[in-house]
Amino acid sequence: MKSRTVAGWLLGALLLAGFAGVWQLQKRIDAEQRVTRVEQDELAFRSGNLVKKLSLEYAPLMGAIYWTRAVQYFGEKHRLHQKNLELLWPLLDIATTLDPHLLPAYRFGSMFLSDHPPRGAGRPDLAVQLLERGLKANPDYWRLYQDLGNVYYFDAKDYPKAAAAYEEGSKNPKALVWMKVMAAKIAAEGESPETSYFLWQQVYESTTDPAVKQNAEEHLKLMRVVLDLKEINRLADEYEKQTGHRATRISELVQAGLIKGAPKDPLGYPYVLGEGGKAELNLYSPLLEQMLMEKLR
Amino acid sequence: MTNVWTVATNTFREAVRDRVLYNLVFFALLMMGAAILVGQISMGIEESVIVSLGLTAISVIGIFIAVFIGVGLVSKEMDKRTLYALLAKPVERWEFLLGKYVGLVMTLTVNTAAMAVGLYVAMWTVKHPLAKSDWFLLVAVYLILLKLALIVALAMLFSCFTTPFLAILFTLGIYIAGVFAQDLRTMQVVDLNPATMKLLRGISYLLPNFDNFNVMGAVAHERGVPGRLVWQDTWYAILYCASVLAAAAMVFSRRNLK
Repeated sequence: MKSRTVAGWLLGALLLAGFAGVWQLQKRIDAEQRVTRVEQDELAFRSGNLVKKLSLEYAPLMGAIYWTRAVQYFGEKHRLHQKNLELLWPLLDIATTLDPHLLPAYRFGSMFLSDHPPRGAGRPDLAVQLLERGLKANPDYWRLYQDLGNVYYFDAKDYPKAAAAYEEGSKNPKALVWMKVMAAKIAAEGESPETSYFLWQQVYESTTDPAVKQNAEEHLKLMRVVLDLKEINRLADEYEKQTGHRATRISELVQAGLIKGAPKDPLGYPYVLGEGGKAELNLYSPLLEQMLMEKLR
Repeated sequence: MTNVWTVATNTFREAVRDRVLYNLVFFALLMMGAAILVGQISMGIEESVIVSLGLTAISVIGIFIAVFIGVGLVSKEMDKRTLYALLAKPVERWEFLLGKYVGLVMTLTVNTAAMAVGLYVAMWTVKHPLAKSDWFLLVAVYLILLKLALIVALAMLFSCFTTPFLAILFTLGIYIAGVFAQDLRTMQVVDLNPATMKLLRGISYLLPNFDNFNVMGAVAHERGVPGRLVWQDTWYAILYCASVLAAAAMVFSRRNLK
């Protein structure tokens, strides 16, 4: 009886030790395979049409699964600050082949593809391809024209095509009036901070997704800074005209009554006048780094 | 017709006793898990994935029940020798067969209806109130039920002349072929001669076209299903089931049960 109890304890301990060992070993194997595992997935399921056939009647569900995989893949790469997004396009391609009406895959997928690294894959050409495919399958959904216009405007910097996309989308009776206005404005002016601010505001207001909303909010803050700096410089020019010398501090503009109080950026840091009396972001403002990154794009 | 109804209600009771409806627990857990998880791991598809996952589960679970129980309807009675006692009474073989068929279709109807309720509950937790377009779901569920009725008929036909294992293989084979019936018709192959193409085309019309009943994609994206299509699909299922059941009755009536 006693030996049986001892054997029982030994077996229990062995069981625990075994599972603990397996757990630790699996962690190491995961770390080892982290890079190669995704590549294997790609090789196995590259063709959207093949996956569609294999899905029998259940292609819409498979489309949703592939879209979720694309989101997870993008999120993971973003989290690990990895710039290699090679699988993003194949995953989006398969998801939209499986379910051509999967609108979020076109809308968010084109953002993932077009945005410059490290935010996205920096492939506006693929984003355009994805959206054109989406428009072919969903010609009545005007928001895809908005997205196409945004890709041409923000990432491809092709303003005639951006204007044409907004114009085409505005022909849809359900489209909002601003689409037509933007088409005309971009066709006439090309890029301007006011237009960029307005377009990001539309993205911010039209999405319910927190990640996209946050991205739009960040861009809106940067656009706000650009507009603020432009306005402060305009006032500094006016001050120069009135006094005959360039202001070196914002307080001079306040004392002259041109500005009520020290203007602050969207994060609450006061703007400063830098070299040559030009308005700049405060050195301590976290927006400064983001602005530099945007300028480097 | 009384005989058919008696066999049908007994088949239904037997299925309930065999805990066939326990699959509903699995379905409920799946839907609850999906409703909680999907919003956190994906983007913008919370509602559509609930619909497509729910309809896929209804369809797959239904197919499993239709095939595995459908095949066993006749063979089980023969193995247990209860069939002989039943046929000794004034019950025709075709009445027995039809009763079994109706009984399983009744079981599937109850099962599918319960799952549809579960699906609506899951949808309601993701978005409430429900929109008018969400009622299109009922059309998709109805078409799945028609498909299942067709699969039961096929399973019964095969079980009338072969072993249960082969009957399962044949039924699943016909189901998969039926999903691709449309492709068979429109397939473009350069090497095939016109006669073979005509033959393939003919086979594509003979196979049950399960793609007819698939409106999951449309419903998941809140697109309507034309009423005429529902009507045509209903008649297609009725005619196909009647033909297959007639064939099954013919085979079964000639089968030597000794």
